[in-house]
Amino acid sequence: MKKLIQLNVNGMEEEVYIEPWWTLGHVLREQLGLTGTKISCGTGDCGACTVLINGKAVKSCIYPAAKAIGKKIITIEGLTGQDGSLHPIQQAFVDCFAVQCGYCTSGMVMATKALLDENPHPSEDEVKEYLRGNLCRCTGYTKIVEAVLTAAEKM
Amino acid sequence: MAELSVIGKSVNKLEAVAKATGKLKYCSEEGIGVPGMLCGKVVFSPHAHARILSIDTSKARAVKGVKAVLTGKDTPDNRSGVLIDDRHILCHETARFVGDAVAVVAADTVEAAQEAADLVKVEYEVLPAIFDVEEAMKPDCPVIVHPELPNYRRTIYEYMGHDLPGPNVHTHHKVRRGNIDKGFDEADFIIENRFQSDKITHCQLEPYNSVCYPESDGSFTLWTSARIFETLHPLLSAFNLPENKLRVRAGYLGGMFGLLARPERFTLLIAMKTGKPVKMVYSREECFVDGFNRLPKIIYLKDGIKKDGTFTAREIKVIVNTGAYTNHAPLTIRNGAFHASQYRLPNYKWDAYGVYTNEHCVGPLRGFGSAEVLWATEQQMDIIAGKLGMDAVDFRMLNTPDENESDVRGQKIHCTGAKECLKKVADWIEWDKPSVQPAEKHIKIAKGIAVGNKYSLIDTASSSWVKVFLDGTGLIEAYHGGDDCGQGLNTVVAQVVAEEFRTTTDKVRIIWGDSHRVPYDFGTASSRSTIYIGNATMLACRDAKKQIFERAADKLGTTPDKLDIKDGTIYVIDDPKKTMDITELALKNHPEARGSIKLATCLEDSAGIIGSATFWGHPSTEDPETGQGERLAISYAYGAQAVEVAVDTETGDAKVLRIYTAFDNGKTINPQMCVAQMEGGAIMGLGSALYEGYILNDDGRLMNPNFHDYKIPSIGDVPHNKDMKIELVEIPHREGPYGAKGVSEAAMCPTAPAIANAIYNAIGVRMPRIPMTPERVFKALKTNKGESK
Repeated sequence: MKKLIQLNVNGMEEEVYIEPWWTLGHVLREQLGLTGTKISCGTGDCGACTVLINGKAVKSCIYPAAKAIGKKIITIEGLTGQDGSLHPIQQAFVDCFAVQCGYCTSGMVMATKALLDENPHPSEDEVKEYLRGNLCRCTGYTKIVEAVLTAAEKM
Repeated sequence: MAELSVIGKSVNKLEAVAKATGKLKYCSEEGIGVPGMLCGKVVFSPHAHARILSIDTSKARAVKGVKAVLTGKDTPDNRSGVLIDDRHILCHETARFVGDAVAVVAADTVEAAQEAADLVKVEYEVLPAIFDVEEAMKPDCPVIVHPELPNYRRTIYEYMGHDLPGPNVHTHHKVRRGNIDKGFDEADFIIENRFQSDKITHCQLEPYNSVCYPESDGSFTLWTSARIFETLHPLLSAFNLPENKLRVRAGYLGGMFGLLARPERFTLLIAMKTGKPVKMVYSREECFVDGFNRLPKIIYLKDGIKKDGTFTAREIKVIVNTGAYTNHAPLTIRNGAFHASQYRLPNYKWDAYGVYTNEHCVGPLRGFGSAEVLWATEQQMDIIAGKLGMDAVDFRMLNTPDENESDVRGQKIHCTGAKECLKKVADWIEWDKPSVQPAEKHIKIAKGIAVGNKYSLIDTASSSWVKVFLDGTGLIEAYHGGDDCGQGLNTVVAQVVAEEFRTTTDKVRIIWGDSHRVPYDFGTASSRSTIYIGNATMLACRDAKKQIFERAADKLGTTPDKLDIKDGTIYVIDDPKKTMDITELALKNHPEARGSIKLATCLEDSAGIIGSATFWGHPSTEDPETGQGERLAISYAYGAQAVEVAVDTETGDAKVLRIYTAFDNGKTINPQMCVAQMEGGAIMGLGSALYEGYILNDDGRLMNPNFHDYKIPSIGDVPHNKDMKIELVEIPHREGPYGAKGVSEAAMCPTAPAIANAIYNAIGVRMPRIPMTPERVFKALKTNKGESK
């Protein structure tokens, strides 16, 4: 039996009917059409589905949607300006060629946002430690590290 | 050619912003919110080998929301494949591995589909299964995976179906050169070893998924997360469909690395049977179970060497466990023989066998049969150098052929850059200096080196066709049939168009990913896109320019040969003030012509300008008995990697500290994209070397079908940025566009043997099997000997 809940996503109050077992990632994509959040492993191992909940990076593919009630959810769509302008992290990922197939990118960008909010000037090792839960099969990570450090410099 | 203005520049990817903002739509976004969209779920065989006695679908059909439960009886009795037609859409009488598809369910919700799939009752008679490939290969193997093999249709390379030593052997590829016995007689010593590689898989982050829509005219539009033409053709033959009834579409792919379409055969089946649109997204476990994997190989390698360090002979036997169905396996097996083009081998014998077992399927994966063979041969190079007391780099240099020499296949060697690349990485890593050892006595650090190549086998037997069209708004459209999986093909095509029209990539629109709209292409495979699609694009642009100049000449009062174009303006070369905008060629931009027949007929419509060109490799055939052919591949990438590895002797854990890569890519079209491919390739190579491998239990069930048990490299596993150096060596390729060629696959080929050589140099133990997990390294250390001599 579906239940009506209210979620605060990217600053907007959204009403959605959900099944109790639906994950936040599923609801964002399938109910709210926020498909920038990707589901890749479904087991919380790869981080493609990373969103921010009350400022913390969370893997939305294993996070129950109902648990997000009353919390502030930010997705990749919420990072881009109203006028389409890129967030400095997004800009750094573009400028550093850190985007290949792009399927991990939303999650990488969101995890980077959480990292830089916590630690605005991380070392390379701190970047590597923080982003261990976000997998990328294309880049070899070198350009992702460069993008994160570039974004930190510019923010 | 004038100085290049766009080729060689790091133009950002056309779609980079759309990806960084999450706005880009992949196949996985197709169909979201479409009313009436069904969900599909597969019923997989729990047995490695079983006869299907009956299937009871009544309980499954009774689940609320279920629209169809389909079994083999609902599919044509029609086997299809890539080279050998050996697989039904759904199992007919026999299931041949744990994960063979037995039935498929369609329902309104994914929950209902899964519930119904669990309620499909299949009665099996479990049959003995075979997993050991060397047992499976024997003439008297009691388990025969495909008793009907002799009757299967082989579509190409039929000769690889001859001289098969046992009933499970489906492929035998041979190369013969010189006199192998004489070669070994002339050797001062002979070195023999056995190597082995485990099965790895693509792990593209976009899970396999597909959407299929029935259309009002009785045709079907199918969206795939794989390559369009590679998806289209097997479906046409499996379903006996004419091509005009099936349109395959794709956007940017969320990673590829060689993967093939998986749920597409089921979405098409469901759409045909129900008349409703359907979407299937594989879970990660389903991606592992029903995916295609890199071919696990057992390699017996025997080399004859003279004291002066030259080869007298190499004999190599490769046994490939291709699992239950072949897919591309015969081609992949054949491609492994190109390893031998890397060195001077006067006498050579290659026998590679593809063998059916009851394991999961194999298929193309980055490196396409080369990486696993090089894994063996590049370790053997170090073993031989050690016996000779020669330096490993000097030994490789000594045996590397020069321009115009013949290789073991009878092809002339051209533009390989192998020596330049090897020298570069050796200098960079200071090969002549030993590694600095840490204070902790249990950590041993050493360097390792390897050379790699990857021949684009497919490309010589395929062609590309590109069309270029002026849309009348000032944009130039390029239609191609390749696939963009993030490697940047669309950007490369846009750069070529921009170069030819002397404009910028924002004036180019790429049309791709639609089998009913783009010209036919073999597709993105075997590192062929840059050379094939690049050349066709370049030629199509030149064809379009010729037409443009012919039409503009009258209006500019000159002849076509006096015209050129820049930034959308056609101008007279000797009188650059005489100009015309390309949009003026479009009738739609002349509203004053409406109602004026005279004026309208004076104007040409740019819609009439279609530049078109094909590029074809003009291959030679291969002699079935000797593997000889003077032109088997026109494109090949050579390169080298040097690594430094720290081995913890207390745990067996190997950590790669540095990877230096140099590859000859002919001419760099986009330096940053090229470097990105090199970095990604090296780290995929690192994963294959140290972590990745399918683990099956005794019943053939996959025990690690997820990202926590099947580990791919994380950001924490890779060297620091300063320790990941890339050099793009440019030896212009004779047949490449502007001298360019593809290198993306080759980048992972030397990594695993370079790491293995470093591990040996660190701890004195040979690791003959990948992945070199901590457990395997630790065990090898404890016994103080590898399995190889």
